[in-house]
Amino acid sequence: MTDTLARGGTTAAAPPHGPVTPEPVAPASPGPAPRRWGLSRRRSFARSGRAATVVDWTLIALLVGITLLSVVSPLLAPYDPVQPVGMPKLPPLSEGHLLGTDAIGRDTLSRVLAGLQTSWLLSVLVTALGLVIGSVVGVVAGMFGGWVDALLMRTTDVFLSLPSMLVAVAVSAALGPGLTNTVLAVLVVWWPYYARIVRGEVRALVARPHVEAARLAGAGWFRVMWRHVLPGVVPTAVVTASLDIGNVVMTLASLSFLGLGQPAPAPELGADTSRNLVEILDAWWIPLIPGLVVMLLSLLSNLAGDAVRNRLVRR
Amino acid sequence: MVRLRFLGFRLLSLAGLLLVLSLVLFLLQEISDADPVAATIGGNASPEAIAAARERLGLDRPPVERYLAYLGGLVTGDMGTSFRTHRDVTTDIATYLPATVELVLFAFVVALVLGVLFAVSSLLRWPLAGPFRGLLFVGSTAPTFLLGLVGLVVFYQLLGWLPASGRGGVTDGPTGMTLLDSLLAGDLAAAGDALQHLALPALALAVGPALAIGRVLRSSLTETLGSDFVRTATSKGLTEPQVLVRHVLRNSVNAALSMSALQLGFMFGGVLLVEGVFTWGGLGSYLAASLPVSDFPAIAGVTFVLGALYVTVNTVADVLQSVADPRIRVS
Repeated sequence: MTDTLARGGTTAAAPPHGPVTPEPVAPASPGPAPRRWGLSRRRSFARSGRAATVVDWTLIALLVGITLLSVVSPLLAPYDPVQPVGMPKLPPLSEGHLLGTDAIGRDTLSRVLAGLQTSWLLSVLVTALGLVIGSVVGVVAGMFGGWVDALLMRTTDVFLSLPSMLVAVAVSAALGPGLTNTVLAVLVVWWPYYARIVRGEVRALVARPHVEAARLAGAGWFRVMWRHVLPGVVPTAVVTASLDIGNVVMTLASLSFLGLGQPAPAPELGADTSRNLVEILDAWWIPLIPGLVVMLLSLLSNLAGDAVRNRLVRR
Repeated sequence: MVRLRFLGFRLLSLAGLLLVLSLVLFLLQEISDADPVAATIGGNASPEAIAAARERLGLDRPPVERYLAYLGGLVTGDMGTSFRTHRDVTTDIATYLPATVELVLFAFVVALVLGVLFAVSSLLRWPLAGPFRGLLFVGSTAPTFLLGLVGLVVFYQLLGWLPASGRGGVTDGPTGMTLLDSLLAGDLAAAGDALQHLALPALALAVGPALAIGRVLRSSLTETLGSDFVRTATSKGLTEPQVLVRHVLRNSVNAALSMSALQLGFMFGGVLLVEGVFTWGGLGSYLAASLPVSDFPAIAGVTFVLGALYVTVNTVADVLQSVADPRIRVS
């Protein structure tokens, strides 16, 4: 993303930080590559075999684990995240405060755990809702074609052409602070990406012989969609979404960094960084730790997204 | 002819997009809680004063009329008055825009250099290609503000190589861009200073885009180098530079070009985060000050200007692409 709203990487839809593009697969080149440029044939990083399977499943397990962790994380917090509980500005690994304390003595670990919950669960929620809304639009456009398709896709294109990060900032500023509004703001710019992808898949499937056969056998449009089109769309959609969660994490953190999340004492990863910017030279860990957690979440979801793709698209 | 028609079509869609952007911002202004009347004359005014202010601000007119007035304002460069600074938003933006544009353009150059380095280094057998790639990948998953902070701690606090905040060089020159103004004034020391101040924020902003550009460029280079026409060109005896420039680059640059434009556009969003870390004093800082007080005219103004830059950049890239690859115009 991203920043940038970064999905742009993959398509025009990329959200804020330049979307992190999935690694394009180098097409198999016919014949030997010209030696003169010293072109090295890239070995694809252990993408087959047992080891890769284990790595992929570990990553997917981590993804599930982090989701479970974020559900219960406030219970694991050793202290109240919004109350001062110790000396201010304790460094990480201080006694009783694994990640130290912030400028007014609140426990950083407790705040990070609470922030992790908001950040991760909201990202999953935004991705899921974006997927659902985008899929509905995409399936309708793809199934019906004609002017319905034209209308929906032109609308989608317009949304895709606008700068998602900036629009999300404006929407969020207009709606006011609060989690629901932040989610709405990101959703407004997020669904078109899925609509595009799903619509493309549906168009391709509708032209396939098995759909034609179902039609000839007298199946209604709903049955065709439900039994013959949707099952083909789901893997692509799930892979796209799992590759995308990292971008949502980053976008939400960016909005929160700009002060567009929950109001002040609430623990939030992005906001905990921006509110503590003044400490950077004095006690660097206070603003840095929440940002690092955002990075870990985004790194994990990128890697796990790749793993999901490898496992699902193997067919 | 085809080229002209393509150009006309792209310009029309650009105008359409700007129109939609203005409509979106107008609608947001409508649903926003911010009360322009209270913001201009204070919350305790008498009902008559409120009515007078509403009339002056045009709030008593129907929405369609107000939108047309807003649109007319945008076209003539009038974006209303900021609730916070009580100056014209246009004046404010004109003050802060050069700093932001300078940072984004410089960061874009850095991203291009890093991206090309990434693509070329993974094609050639360069021993550091792997680590470089890994570093860029991990860096690109970090939020922009974290990159800025880490850069600050490492290059300012630990190493003392680069300044921590603000802008350097000639700050009151004609263009408002410190590096350019320093160079125009012929002051190399000032230019160096400006460059040092630009380095960290630009690097923080460039890492993500560099990876995206590099990946696209690498995959299209790989594809082109393996294609039949390159083999033909080589075997009919063209020199290596001729093959590279006429055949490989022209056929590879396209995807990278549109990705670069897209990433340049994203940078206009990402810059908001970087400016906060480095107190850069551009549009990001202006927006950051406007957000907490719900200064919607200012927020809408910044969004419109940066958004307009975003769509313009993408349109220009489309047109450039059609010059590089005529197939685009026809399809």
